[in-house]
Amino acid sequence: MTIKPGARARDYKPFSEQDLKQIDDAIMNLLSDTGVKVSNQQALEIFDEHGAEVDYETQMVKLPQSMVEEAIDSTPSNVKLYGREEKNNLEIGENRVHYGTGGTVLDVLDLETGEKRRINIQDVADIAKLVDALENIHFLVIPVYPNECDDQNVDVNRFYSALKNTTKHIMGGVYSIKGIREVIKMASKIAGSKEALVNQPFISFITCVMSPLILDDIYTDFLIEIAQHGLPVAIPAEPLSGATGPITVAGNVTLMAAESLAGVVLAQLVNPGTPVLFASTASAMDLNTGLYITGEVEMGLMHAGVAQVAQYYGLPLYATAGMSDAKLPDIQSGYESAMTTLLAGLSGANYIHDAAGLLEMCQTVAYEKYVIDNEIIGMAMRAIKGIEVTEETIAADVIDRVGPSGNFLVEEHTRKHMRSEFFQPKVSDRQPREGWEADGAKPTRQRAIEMAKEILNSHQPLGIEKKIDDEIRNEFPHILLDK
Amino acid sequence: MSKMEKVVEEVIAGNVDGVTELTQELVDEGTKPSQIIKEGLVAGMDVVGGRFKKNEMFVPEVLISAKAMHGGMDIVKPLLTEGESSSAGTVIMATVEGDLHDIGKNLVAMMLEGAGFEVVDLGVDVTADEFVEAVKEHQPDIVGLSALLTTTMPAMEETLKSLEEAGIRDQVKVMVGGAPVSEGFANEIGADGYAADGSTATDIAREFVS
Repeated sequence: MTIKPGARARDYKPFSEQDLKQIDDAIMNLLSDTGVKVSNQQALEIFDEHGAEVDYETQMVKLPQSMVEEAIDSTPSNVKLYGREEKNNLEIGENRVHYGTGGTVLDVLDLETGEKRRINIQDVADIAKLVDALENIHFLVIPVYPNECDDQNVDVNRFYSALKNTTKHIMGGVYSIKGIREVIKMASKIAGSKEALVNQPFISFITCVMSPLILDDIYTDFLIEIAQHGLPVAIPAEPLSGATGPITVAGNVTLMAAESLAGVVLAQLVNPGTPVLFASTASAMDLNTGLYITGEVEMGLMHAGVAQVAQYYGLPLYATAGMSDAKLPDIQSGYESAMTTLLAGLSGANYIHDAAGLLEMCQTVAYEKYVIDNEIIGMAMRAIKGIEVTEETIAADVIDRVGPSGNFLVEEHTRKHMRSEFFQPKVSDRQPREGWEADGAKPTRQRAIEMAKEILNSHQPLGIEKKIDDEIRNEFPHILLDK
Repeated sequence: MSKMEKVVEEVIAGNVDGVTELTQELVDEGTKPSQIIKEGLVAGMDVVGGRFKKNEMFVPEVLISAKAMHGGMDIVKPLLTEGESSSAGTVIMATVEGDLHDIGKNLVAMMLEGAGFEVVDLGVDVTADEFVEAVKEHQPDIVGLSALLTTTMPAMEETLKSLEEAGIRDQVKVMVGGAPVSEGFANEIGADGYAADGSTATDIAREFVS
């Protein structure tokens, strides 16, 4: 059973209505009283023109509540993120849940040797191919940065390698204005025209807000550029509890929300109605080492809370969960990933990225971890789907018919519902010990490695039409992926 | 699609009524019963078995297909001539003395039936003497012993001893199964086979009679 992307969550609500009102007040006050530092001349002018209180000297911008509310109103509550095949289209908003990849990782655990090594351009292609085949990973946020590239040529290289290998929706961080323009040009060729791409965007972008409370120069340039094109963009803020954000979960959620909202407001001022995702990558600092961590259960709590805030404002949400601080796919990586994946999903977070493949505080990916997380996400989607209650599912008549000491093995009711009620794992081994031993008594990680290899050997992604592909390669000779 | 191919399809689909009707039609048209069994009913179950091994079909589906196959068997069996057999072999199945658990034993019995075996199910809490009597009466190829409780495992050994003492141990192959049972235990008490699940039990039973 695969639960369709977009199953609606209804269960987990860590904030009460009263809590949400209190947090909303604090967010609005932060934006209007404390304000945000905007280190970008164009953005300062845009805020100024639209009536924000701007101090060009200190670069501080205070956003009146009415401006924030108008921006929330003009942001589409539901954003359609398209795939290049219809089955991969996603609708982001309300309490519909989707999971996908994320990160900007430099290293990978080599699939053959298990050794940590630098990411290369072929890894970008292979990870996209793997994601294309893994049915519970709903979208690709390009998760790695290839070692052969620099910030001037990396954007087109990352997006090309991804587009070539998956028809799922592709989102990515970007590193230069030139790169953004090249990526849009390339995707427009595939779509047929720029207009076709904007109407059915199968690519989208990520910029970011610096915590605490800074819209920096470069990323703000990117945000303005993308908003002008009218393509979807996620604007995450990443306050780390205890370091760049308050140590309290509620405080970190509040700060994160104010920061991302500042970006949302700017995008709406640039191009009212442009599709943006309110976005969070909030996490924490480890109290022992002072370093960034990703697998803490509080990260899951934060994003359950963030999901409620997004639903309160009616904004589509890009959220984060499923990462691990383990150095290899092991027991720690299993429980850390499962825990936050489930918490964020049960709360109805919409576009949960980073949910597959990541290890070591978001610094390493592993092919087999994508396969394992595909299974964790499948289980989480089943939990999110919840328990269907009807006369048919209560099955009183079936129980009556079977009666004491009977069994349900050959009941039509069993056959009718077994595939939709029970998730069937692929990585988990549920055989009796004899069967497991006969298969080589392999630990879970080994089985996942073999599955990853099998997919990479056999899966045939749709790719890019030859004629268009040739055009792209001619126009962008700095694309490095082997032809 | 020929009628015979339809029988195969309906067995796979687990449609009891469909299999029954089609089998009757074939009989009425003069098709040989042994041919209906081989090319229709058993052929269908062979496909089911293959899909089950590949995890494409689940236990309830296999059992429902077996039920459908039996709908057809009930029609053709009485028509078989002397010397023709519809059965892959006869198996006596029971949960041993002191143990009232039967879902595992029932499941194995149904899977054996699905594979074409004639199963005589003695039920639960069956004593060693009752096993001996049943072997004498039904002349089975195989005896299957089930236990869920660790406390009833010794009853398996008792049963084997009684078969030995009655001088009929060599007439049958004995297989054992159930949660506390293991390959090692099976060897220790002198059983011929151990199966961890229903599909393994079916494989072992096939080996015994081949």
